[in-house]
Amino acid sequence: MKKKLGVYICACGGNISDYVDIEKVREAVKDEDCLVLAKTTMFACGDTNQKDMEQDIKENDLSGIVVASCSPKLHLTTFRGVSERAGLNKYNYVHANIREQGSWAHSDNKVGATEKAINLVKAAIAKARLAESLEPIIIESKRSVAVIGAGVAGMKAAISLARMKDEVYLIEREGKVGGHLSALEKISPEGTDGRELLARLEKEIAAEPNITLLTNAEVTGTSGNIGDFKVDVTIKGSQGEMVKQFVAGSILVATGFNSYTPAEGEFGYSNIKSVITLPEFKALISEGGKADADGTMRLYYNNREVQSIAYIYCVGSRQVKGENKYCSRYCCTAAIQSSLDVREKFPNVDNFHFTRGVRTYGKQELIYKESNDKGDVYIQFPDKKPPVVSEENGKVLVKAIDILSEKSESEVVADLLVLVTGMVPDSDTALGNLLKLPKGRDKFFNEIHPKLRPVETVIDGITIAGTCQGPKNVAESVNSALSAAAKSHSFVSLGELELEPIVAYVDNDTCNWCTACSDVCPFSAVSMIDHNGKAVAQINKSTCKGCGMCLPVCPSDSIELISFTNKEMESMIDVLAQ
Amino acid sequence: MSRLDTKFGKKLKKYGATEFNRCYNCGTCTAVCSLTNSEDSFPRSMVRLSAAGDQNGIESSLKPWLCYYCGECSTSCPQTANPGELMMSLRRWLTGRYDWTGLSGLFYRSSLVTIIAMVLVFAGVIGYAAYESFDMERIMHTAHYFEMFAIMGVFAVILLPNIVRMWYLTVIKPGYKLPVKVYASSMSELFIHMFTQKRALGCDDNQARWFAHLILVIGYLTLLFTTVFLDWFSTESMFVVVLGYVVSAIVFAVTFVFVLGRIKQKQEIAKHSRPSDWFFIIWLLLMGITAFAVRLFIDLDLLAGNLWLFLFHFTILAQWALIIVPFGKWTHFLYRSFAMYFDKLQKSK
Ligand SMILES: Cc1cc2nc3c(=O)[nH]c(=O)nc-3n(C[C@H](O)[C@H](O)[C@H](O)COP(=O)(O)OP(=O)(O)OC[C@H]3O[C@@H](n4cnc5c(N)ncnc54)[C@H](O)[C@@H]3O)c2cc1C
Ligand code: SF4
Ligand code: SF4
Ligand code: SF4
Ligand code: SF4
Ligand code: SF4
Repeated sequence: MKKKLGVYICACGGNISDYVDIEKVREAVKDEDCLVLAKTTMFACGDTNQKDMEQDIKENDLSGIVVASCSPKLHLTTFRGVSERAGLNKYNYVHANIREQGSWAHSDNKVGATEKAINLVKAAIAKARLAESLEPIIIESKRSVAVIGAGVAGMKAAISLARMKDEVYLIEREGKVGGHLSALEKISPEGTDGRELLARLEKEIAAEPNITLLTNAEVTGTSGNIGDFKVDVTIKGSQGEMVKQFVAGSILVATGFNSYTPAEGEFGYSNIKSVITLPEFKALISEGGKADADGTMRLYYNNREVQSIAYIYCVGSRQVKGENKYCSRYCCTAAIQSSLDVREKFPNVDNFHFTRGVRTYGKQELIYKESNDKGDVYIQFPDKKPPVVSEENGKVLVKAIDILSEKSESEVVADLLVLVTGMVPDSDTALGNLLKLPKGRDKFFNEIHPKLRPVETVIDGITIAGTCQGPKNVAESVNSALSAAAKSHSFVSLGELELEPIVAYVDNDTCNWCTACSDVCPFSAVSMIDHNGKAVAQINKSTCKGCGMCLPVCPSDSIELISFTNKEMESMIDVLAQ
Repeated sequence: MSRLDTKFGKKLKKYGATEFNRCYNCGTCTAVCSLTNSEDSFPRSMVRLSAAGDQNGIESSLKPWLCYYCGECSTSCPQTANPGELMMSLRRWLTGRYDWTGLSGLFYRSSLVTIIAMVLVFAGVIGYAAYESFDMERIMHTAHYFEMFAIMGVFAVILLPNIVRMWYLTVIKPGYKLPVKVYASSMSELFIHMFTQKRALGCDDNQARWFAHLILVIGYLTLLFTTVFLDWFSTESMFVVVLGYVVSAIVFAVTFVFVLGRIKQKQEIAKHSRPSDWFFIIWLLLMGITAFAVRLFIDLDLLAGNLWLFLFHFTILAQWALIIVPFGKWTHFLYRSFAMYFDKLQKSK
């Protein structure tokens, strides 16, 4: 049956019509084969126009539409919605981008822009003639989530999922849960005790029958796709290793961070005895005290009393020369909190902070003020001239330029130098490689969109939470954990999932399993199957993203991409080549 | 290179600066200060030196004297670090630093010591009066000569050496080598500022206070001149008698207004009165009132029966001359003027 098509050409309030003569475009295409109506409109996406389109589709019994307007990135879903509301299968709508690829790109050449727009619309009409109705792929989704990493993020996510009645596998590499939380005596800004917090979370987890906690456990294999991930977990026990397998509808990754380890000699680290990192200092505050005869507490390091402490900030973060360009967010606050803690416990200690500008954002500002009030000294050194550290009679001499003082050179002789080390990604990259999780330039796991899709990854069904995604403090880690839990829950809660039907498929007759497609597929969607005794490629519908990478590499041209078939593409090229 | 030190900051608290550690170096104070300029940037820079404990930097600096405490910086500081009071405290500390006897610092840090000294002077006056068997004539005679010698003595023994020390710390030690010619040609700066405090006019909305201050300075100096050199209490000259009445009235009237201001605490400067401020202003007030009353009693022939009044006046005078002038806030008058002079010297390079 011959198609009945409608075309809408948008002025975009002048954004398009100032350069492209849209009336001329309409004139040029209105007599194309299959076309029943061709209209121009001021704003195609506007409510009134959407209603008009719905009416047109119904009244003229249209079997396809073409919208020529802005980029489909902006309004693809808008016009798919229009089609559906009018009872038209949404894959019968084809988009032509005449703004980003037309008026804006050729604002210097109105005639050319108009000609190009005519061609683009004609090509879209050609595709619309061949477009087919498609139905989404429906897959079953197992109502269970694998949470990997049981730091504060993983624990909170697991509890939240379990309370939404999902089955949860909480997988922790170490023998105990908690991650970095267990080392934090006082968590800024409110001063909560990390170990208390941890005990509470452990109790909540133990009370949740829906959570299976696996410690000393690591994910060593995964296959499958959203709704149906097959997960292999290797558990180390006293009787050796055992592998546990289960199916999860979604995977939530919360594998946390490592503290930066300074290089040998970086600010005297490992060459000068009295130079330690912030985590080491935290432990020292808890353990290094001795009471005087008169009851005053005194701090000792290497059997020497500590009375003055210097701190160098941004070690391993905001590097001018190194690769870690990011700010680790937690460390200004954590260092100031520690300096307050040490003062509280050991009243005769002096603190000298060498910073690159203090970043105690939000409520954390209050502890900065408190620290100032108590008489801590803050020096701000220039980015390109870090402090110079040397040893002086068993003490540490720190020399720095203070950009806040007119006479800018300052120095201090300290009993202890604390390097305020930042966060780096977990050194074990095995899991990331296994799940093929993309990483950002900072080498932390990457979300799809930092603002709009902050916990989803490009791998459908896998979410990320906490510091494995980038530096965060506890509150921020928990925020992202709860949001990832909600997202993972949405993948599994309905029992089934709708997927885009635009995927690739293989012609079994011509394929001869050369593996070229399998080699290039970024999503591991291709596997080998037996077809009447012959090895051929098979593409997993639920994993394939329809990216099209495999198509051009196939030597026998055996792959078709639904909705972008050879026939459709050729018909468009023919129009454009005329 | 300066070595960081928190002891100095702790010491400064005893001089009245208790909040400057809160400063986060935003620079608002310097931006609003109407007396700072690109050559002499303050008060933030001084807050900074104080926080870092750079004692050398502070004692070689004249900036604390360039501030006339309008208090604008303190009202604008987002951290309520009170930079204006820090500047004031630095002036107190510097006064102690310049003073070779060390008594200034002691008095600033401890009101108790100040009160003890005041009581000792009082006891001395009463002791002396008893020694003279409370003979009015003799006591008045001595009081007149005491005033004269006290002024000269305090100047020669305390103030002059202290100014030399100030000169050493701010001009010689930082390495300014200047020809005598420059010293001579910059002299005018010293006198202009000593008598007019012209610089204070640069403070926004400060004209009234400056004027009151100017009147007070003129009144005070004239009163001093009238009592010491024109011998107001014994003179027969009608002109001198009236002049004395007028100037002593001016002194107590203006100081009364200042005292009220410090009690009401409306202006920023009046909000942070230290004991040293109260001693200064109350003793000035009492000087004016008692001098006025003494001459009035003389004119009404009442003094002979009211020796206590003269002894009260004498005590105030002695405490003023022996404690407040050499070691108290009075010295600011001197150091400010010399600061302008030394500043001119520094800049002539
Ligand atoms: C010295 C210091 C002081 C701090 N002070 C503060 C503070 O005062 N206030 C504040 O808000 N924040 C503070 N923080 C930050 C805080 O520790 C973190 O924000 C928080 O712990 C992050 O939690 P997380 O769950 O994302 O990561 P983590 O705590 O790192 O937990 C990750 C967990 O995953 C496990 N894991 C990793 N890889 C795997 C794998 N492949 N398989 C299974 N399990 C795996 C790890 O063993 C670990 O248990 C401080 C951090 C440090 C280092
Ligand atoms: S939080 Fe502070 S110490 Fe940490 S990287 Fe950022 S600026 Fe540096
Ligand atoms: S279209 Fe993309 S995702 Fe699908 S099989 Fe081909 S390469 Fe893989
Ligand atoms: S590239 Fe083509 S021929 Fe080769 S395995 Fe894939 S589908 Fe088959
Ligand atoms: S306004 Fe306050 S916080 Fe800002 S620089 Fe001045 S004293 Fe510091
Ligand atoms: S009190 Fe006034 S003159 Fe003094 S530093 Fe502050 S703003 Fe400047």
